[in-house]
Amino acid sequence: MSSDATATEQALTRIPSGSPEYWRCVDFLIDEAEALDQNRLEDWLEMLHREIDYRAPIRVTRERARGLSFSKQGYHFFENHESLLTRIDRLSTDYAWAEDPPSRTKRFVSNFRVYSIVGSDDLTVRSNLLLYRERLDETHPQFLVGERDDDLREVDGELQLVRRLILLDHSILMTPNLGIFL
Amino acid sequence: MYQPQPDVLTFLDEFEGALNGGTIPIRTFNDSELHELELDRIFTRAWVFLGHESEIPARGDYVQRRIGRDPFVLVRGEDGEIRALFDTCRHRGAMVCRAERGNAALFRCPYHGWTYKNTGQLAGAPLLKDAYGSDLDKSKMGLHAAPHLESIHGFVFASLDPDAPSLDDYLGDARWHLDLIWGQYEPGWEVVGEPQRTVLAANWKAPADNFSGDDYHTVYLHRSTTETGIMENPAGDAALWDGYHVQLGNGHHFIRNMIPPEEPGPRFLGYPEEVQKGFSPTMQSEEQYEGLKHTVGFVGTVFPNFGFLCFPFKHDRSADFVTAMSIRVFEPRASGEMVAWTWSLCPKGVSEEFRQESYRTTMGTFSAAGTFEQDDSDPWMSITRSAGTTYARKVGMQVDYRMGMHGNASSRRVDDYPGPGVAYYSVLEEGGQRGFHRRWLQFMRSEDYPPKMTPEEQNAGAGVPGSNGGG
Repeated sequence: MSSDATATEQALTRIPSGSPEYWRCVDFLIDEAEALDQNRLEDWLEMLHREIDYRAPIRVTRERARGLSFSKQGYHFFENHESLLTRIDRLSTDYAWAEDPPSRTKRFVSNFRVYSIVGSDDLTVRSNLLLYRERLDETHPQFLVGERDDDLREVDGELQLVRRLILLDHSILMTPNLGIFL
Repeated sequence: MYQPQPDVLTFLDEFEGALNGGTIPIRTFNDSELHELELDRIFTRAWVFLGHESEIPARGDYVQRRIGRDPFVLVRGEDGEIRALFDTCRHRGAMVCRAERGNAALFRCPYHGWTYKNTGQLAGAPLLKDAYGSDLDKSKMGLHAAPHLESIHGFVFASLDPDAPSLDDYLGDARWHLDLIWGQYEPGWEVVGEPQRTVLAANWKAPADNFSGDDYHTVYLHRSTTETGIMENPAGDAALWDGYHVQLGNGHHFIRNMIPPEEPGPRFLGYPEEVQKGFSPTMQSEEQYEGLKHTVGFVGTVFPNFGFLCFPFKHDRSADFVTAMSIRVFEPRASGEMVAWTWSLCPKGVSEEFRQESYRTTMGTFSAAGTFEQDDSDPWMSITRSAGTTYARKVGMQVDYRMGMHGNASSRRVDDYPGPGVAYYSVLEEGGQRGFHRRWLQFMRSEDYPPKMTPEEQNAGAGVPGSNGGG
């Protein structure tokens, strides 16, 4: 299991690397990263399921015996489709200063683990994320590093993201704001 | 005691002259010598907010916190008492608490194994008798603790100065306002989740100044939020000025937005019925009960680096407005670096649904990921950048805080504000921010604990309409 806060209740069966389902999920997440890196937020929205549950719990430094210690109640992001839409609409106004000019970002997605979910047609994909971010002429790059625990659902022949849990490795965020999506 | 450089003392004299004229030297927002003096003269003296009692409900519960840059463990001891223990072993000085929060009967230093009770008392050390004979008196070798620690409505403050006044005296008229907001809800208040922390390349005073009455920035910096409909603004931009600025003495400030007294309301900060019924008319004065009933929202600061904010906002544009309550600390790290802390505070005993919606709305607006605060981080960092420039220092660059001086703004001092303090109506003035910097100056210049600053003294220099001189 990924972490105490995140553990999916359902039983998961690993889908081997290299199978068609595996590559389909990998392609989806790589295309998604490209859409976000290119600031094509409308395209990104199209990749999200209407029932999306999108969260980034706060990471807390705890003793080893306490496990990975993600907060069970505290979140940087705690979003649904409408709130993500609200964020994207706000970013498209002329007054979203923190992202205009936009950050230059690159999302490196790796360590894919794809699972089928017993009793569901959705697929679970776990991957690692390394996000590089810089703004203006700053020369101190910012990094956001973590694991993502996603569920993908097929709708009309296309995959959509229906659940994302972003498990950051930072107990103090090393970036001044989260004006970007993870 | 840290002795300021002569250059710094000259600067502080210039600062006073500038402030009386309504400007301040931008250098204050990024200067390493000033910062060292701030750590010594402000953060080892002032009452600093450390956390909320609901974060450490059980005996042994602890959280790591900072006073200035210094590490303390805020812990509820086995005797039930809350202390702020200096996280530094008495033997060699290594840290004894390495997790951010938890529950512990003992804190153990990893270096040689000196072990302390959660009251701070030295419990033991390996080979104690062979190593020290009877030379080591355990009762005198406990962890250092903040000499003063007091709570009000669950908010825990500490001061490192034995000469500090009581928290009540320190708060001045802020006390009445804390009672107004958090002293009238019978079930009490609690923090939801753990605080969010973000490092910013900004001076801690940039957000402290902002929270001390910078309503002027709302209409422009945060225009994206009115355009997107996530801030309540039915009457247009003019309505954004509709509120009071109240100087509370000792550098504290409150922004308070109210519905008119003839409107019955109740507003109670926009909380839903399930919360409103928990407000009691008998816990504080009638004026405070009626006052809260008519209060729409507020932004407040307790000098030096504690801020709080409460308004109804939308996290999700298609949903209703939900009351968000954001509790803030602006932790100094260096002259050009700070950590922004955010807690979400919620009334106790509410439905899980409301608790979650209020939490989401708080973090979705006034946190690092928030739709408002994302944009605040931008000028706070660039002010700090500008303050560190050679050119700004060379020309003694001033930044402008004249709004509301000598009656230049439409905002006027009023005597019908329903509460204590020096009040202005509307919020289109900058007296609160001048007051913050005036108290800062007083702390920075005082070799002894600075005397009480009345609301009138905090407001010095505002002048009256038509006059040109400072008060």
